[in-house]
Amino acid sequence: MLNKTKTHIEEVARFHSDKADEIEAFRIKYLSKKGGIVTDLFAAFKDVPAEDKKEFGQVLNQLKDAVSAKIEELKANLKSGDTKPEGLDMTLPADGAFMGSRHPVSLVMNEISEIFTRLGYTISEGPEIEDDWHVFSALNFPPEHPARDMQDTFFIERNPEILLRTHTSSVQVRVMDGAKPPIRTISPGRVFRNEAISARAHCIFHQLEGLYIDENVSFADLKQTLLYFAEEFFGKGTQIRLRPSFFPFTEPSAEMDVSCTLCGGKGCNVCKHSGWLEVLGCGMVDPNVLQNCGIDSEKYTGFAFGLGMERLAMLKYGVHDLRLFFENDLRFLRQFR
Amino acid sequence: MNISYNQLKNYISPLPQVDELCEILTSLGLEVGGYETYESIKGGLQGLVIGEVLTCQKHPDADKLSVTTVNIGTTILPIVCGAPNVAKGQKVVVATVGTTLYSGETSFQIKKSKIRGEVSEGMICAEDEIGIGTSHDGIIVLPDETQIGTPAKDYYQAETDFVIEVDITANRTDAVSHFGVARDLYAYFKHRNTNISLTRPSVEKFAVTNTHLTIPVEIQTPEACKRYTGVTISGIEIKPSPEWLQNRLKAIGLNPINNIVDVTNFVMRELGQPLHAFDADQITDKKVVVKTVKSNTEFVTLDNISRKLTDKDLMICNNNEAMCIAGVFGGAKSGVSQVTKNIFLESAYFDPIYVRKTSKHHGLQTDASFRFERGADPEITIYALKRAALLIQEVAGGYISSEIQDIYPEKIAPNRVELKFAHADRLIGKKIGHDIIKSILQSLEIQIVSESETSLILDVPRYRADVTREADVIEDILRIYGYNNVETPQAVRSTLAYSPKPDEYKTRNRVSEFLSAQGFSEAMSNSLTKGSYYSEGETFKTDESVKILNPLSSDLDVLRQTLLFNALEAVKRNLNYKTSDIAFYEFGHTYQRKNSTNSLVSGYTEEHRLAVVLSGNRNPINWISHENPTNFFLLKSKIDRIFELLNFQASDFQVTESEKDVYNYGLTYTFKNTVFAEFGAISNTYLSKFDIGQEVFYADLNWSDILANYNKSIRYKDISNFPKVRRDLALLLDDSIKFSDIQRIAFKTEKSLLREVSVFDVFRDKKLGENKKSYAVSFILQDDDKTLTDKQIDKIMSKLTTNFKAELNADLR
Repeated sequence: MLNKTKTHIEEVARFHSDKADEIEAFRIKYLSKKGGIVTDLFAAFKDVPAEDKKEFGQVLNQLKDAVSAKIEELKANLKSGDTKPEGLDMTLPADGAFMGSRHPVSLVMNEISEIFTRLGYTISEGPEIEDDWHVFSALNFPPEHPARDMQDTFFIERNPEILLRTHTSSVQVRVMDGAKPPIRTISPGRVFRNEAISARAHCIFHQLEGLYIDENVSFADLKQTLLYFAEEFFGKGTQIRLRPSFFPFTEPSAEMDVSCTLCGGKGCNVCKHSGWLEVLGCGMVDPNVLQNCGIDSEKYTGFAFGLGMERLAMLKYGVHDLRLFFENDLRFLRQFR
Repeated sequence: MNISYNQLKNYISPLPQVDELCEILTSLGLEVGGYETYESIKGGLQGLVIGEVLTCQKHPDADKLSVTTVNIGTTILPIVCGAPNVAKGQKVVVATVGTTLYSGETSFQIKKSKIRGEVSEGMICAEDEIGIGTSHDGIIVLPDETQIGTPAKDYYQAETDFVIEVDITANRTDAVSHFGVARDLYAYFKHRNTNISLTRPSVEKFAVTNTHLTIPVEIQTPEACKRYTGVTISGIEIKPSPEWLQNRLKAIGLNPINNIVDVTNFVMRELGQPLHAFDADQITDKKVVVKTVKSNTEFVTLDNISRKLTDKDLMICNNNEAMCIAGVFGGAKSGVSQVTKNIFLESAYFDPIYVRKTSKHHGLQTDASFRFERGADPEITIYALKRAALLIQEVAGGYISSEIQDIYPEKIAPNRVELKFAHADRLIGKKIGHDIIKSILQSLEIQIVSESETSLILDVPRYRADVTREADVIEDILRIYGYNNVETPQAVRSTLAYSPKPDEYKTRNRVSEFLSAQGFSEAMSNSLTKGSYYSEGETFKTDESVKILNPLSSDLDVLRQTLLFNALEAVKRNLNYKTSDIAFYEFGHTYQRKNSTNSLVSGYTEEHRLAVVLSGNRNPINWISHENPTNFFLLKSKIDRIFELLNFQASDFQVTESEKDVYNYGLTYTFKNTVFAEFGAISNTYLSKFDIGQEVFYADLNWSDILANYNKSIRYKDISNFPKVRRDLALLLDDSIKFSDIQRIAFKTEKSLLREVSVFDVFRDKKLGENKKSYAVSFILQDDDKTLTDKQIDKIMSKLTTNFKAELNADLR
């Protein structure tokens, strides 16, 4: 057995490999806990006559050390033994793949939705085919308002009137209807106006409208919310300016300008040298609207605002022609990564 | 509406510089679009001065020229002049060196020059050369008494004005006049403690000369005509208005017509009250009756168009016939003409709804109807009438020949409104202070009838047709106080609001982000489309198209029932632009005229859908990825991944072949009897409609129903400690056998231990036999509780083989 062990030591000394699996097989052959040569020899040790134990023990330990040293040596060689593929040119272009993209209107809509959801607004949606009540009557549009004309709005039926919504305020009517404040929601979506398609006008576009109704919601709160929005969307330090305006569904009503993002308020072509960009309409929800939706206007107040997505996308990305948004030219779409 | 800066100065002073004024107007809600400089004479006669010809001699070298010296007060200039009528001693208009003269669109500058050897330092001008007339007969010769050195702009009263374009919102009828704008400015300055005065033009001089031409008025329809005021003026002379009046009108974009019409237009733009002048001699029987007439009565309006009246049109009539459409448009016969000598002047208050209906019915939008239909001021009729009468006397002569006829059956009271201070504070979000609120209201001419600790009772003048409720009053207070003077609070007010589950918006975004990360571009297309798309083929029903009553064109006359046609249009467009490798998706609504369980508007079904489109190569071709066209299975992979993303299991779906004519071949995924997805290769019938020459793979996902069944709840399952085992079978099959059959039989045969069935090779060859194919199928087996023994595995595989043979006639290869 002693000689056999010595033969193993020679065998181990002769072994060489630069392959990981061979080295592993070598390790298993000698050291495996089940049937490994070294393991078995150690197991046989107890049967060796006492007088031989000393010498055999030494030789056996030599073998074990030789195996371990061999494995370590070969593994070390393995690591340093990398070979580079021949003629490798790593500057060749990578496997090509088209970059996907999000629609610019979605990008803007998502960015704004995120700003308002951070403030605690939920997102509501509603139908694009609507009735007169949700689009006009509940929102305090007088019967003769021009928006109710065929010239301004697409109709599907008259009497009773079914039409394509001209704003997403109709969603707010649906949200308010029967609900108990607080209500804090934004409604993004597609709206329709009877306008011929050109670079500056389109029959479809997208809006995002916001609504906040609770006890004691004030004009100051509206300003604060919009200032926060302006700074988040257009950049820190953006200023806002509110101008009295008129919408049937808000009183007081205002239009909001932001300091021109391109020239910083100095005046340029984009802001028509005024230093201001008109970005949204807003106001305090008209008490008639609250009452129409079953909300006690003595107890509750609220504010609302509405933004045009295409206009903001045009400002943000420098797009000059509205038609591009809905033509699905991949040369256009693929730019909005 | 155009506002003249110079005219505004007549009512309010001091008036700030024009730029500042524009800012203030905008802050008051009278949005300024811009302003332009108006010059009654182009160039404003700058650099032109009155001079006297001291000497005048023939030019030594030119027959038609004279050499003159001209005294312009400050200096004596040598001027060479070509006019035949120039002579010593004349008072003339001199353009000095540096002056720009205008002739139509062109202009030239006077320079010091030598004309045939003679020095000339200016030009003696003719009428047309300085823009005050058309005569080029010779130089202007002014009266002898004209002062030398007088600037020509003073002599000719050349006026420079700023014309401000103001966008008045539909509610602010009180501000569609110069005085109305001045009134708002007054409140603005008053609140800011500026020393400001508001001046109403005086009508104190109004006096009735005689009552020889009294024309009584009768109102037969008091619900339509709430007040009618009139007076006669006799012995007037029709002629062009004087320069100042013409300039005022021209400045704000109105064409002067004659002195009477010009005065009525001027007063309307000054005070906001529309007026009408009748030729009194055309009022037969000398009586004015306000009433409606029989339907279909013919009436010729001022523009000489004959119109058919309705019995809802309020008319101003004499005893025989209609003379004027009340508040809208005058009649051709009764209007002021060149021979008019006596007039009857009308100043009335007509009901907004009557005027609006008539104006709309006849398609007549006039300055008068614009004001009446938004609500004029019933209290201003007499004042406006007197103002106009005085101006008419000034520019046309004549005598007031009747007492003022004022029929006002029922006085229209001011709007009474209660304002609670607490409500103002609450809505504004800032305590403005009772004194400030009261002072703003007073500056707006809103009367405080009574007051208590907590509230005010107010009378709002009728000219503020927009202020009828507390919220309106608060808006006005805030408007004058300044929207921008309300500070924004530091702390955010918030209330808890609960979002819907599942979050539709977020889920859609998640799928969008997934597709975009996979190389797809998000598309958006018009919901309005061509009705004719739906008239052919079997898949869509024409009568389910939602038609637009007033479409922009026949290409946009219905709402889409599917995203497919938009997708094919987009494919075609991209192919035209030489983009042939196409991958995009669109989330959008589809619309159908039919009821369904999710109809929010009865009779209409609106659904969210997702379309996914692939065509051309899947990657740009390069050295490593050679031509690799997209195919059905690439699309299928994306659709399967979307459903995995949404936690649906393949086993949830019933998979069948699509029977729609849209697809050449395609699959349908049905979930509990609801079609969730349908996808495949678009058939040639549809491709050829769009002239598309390459394969298009299209998927239509029923997003509404998918979302309704979506429940994202992730449950962790313990990982098994026991190994998986794989066994393969090469099955020789008839062509008609589907993989799904193999799958179904496999899972039926071994319900508990079979984990996956997959195919790793598909082989077709004549050697296999007619209509035969070979599928190399792998089976993954696993027991969660113990290691599978060879015996168990062999038993399962043998059972599978037996069943494949029995049910599919499948042999092992």
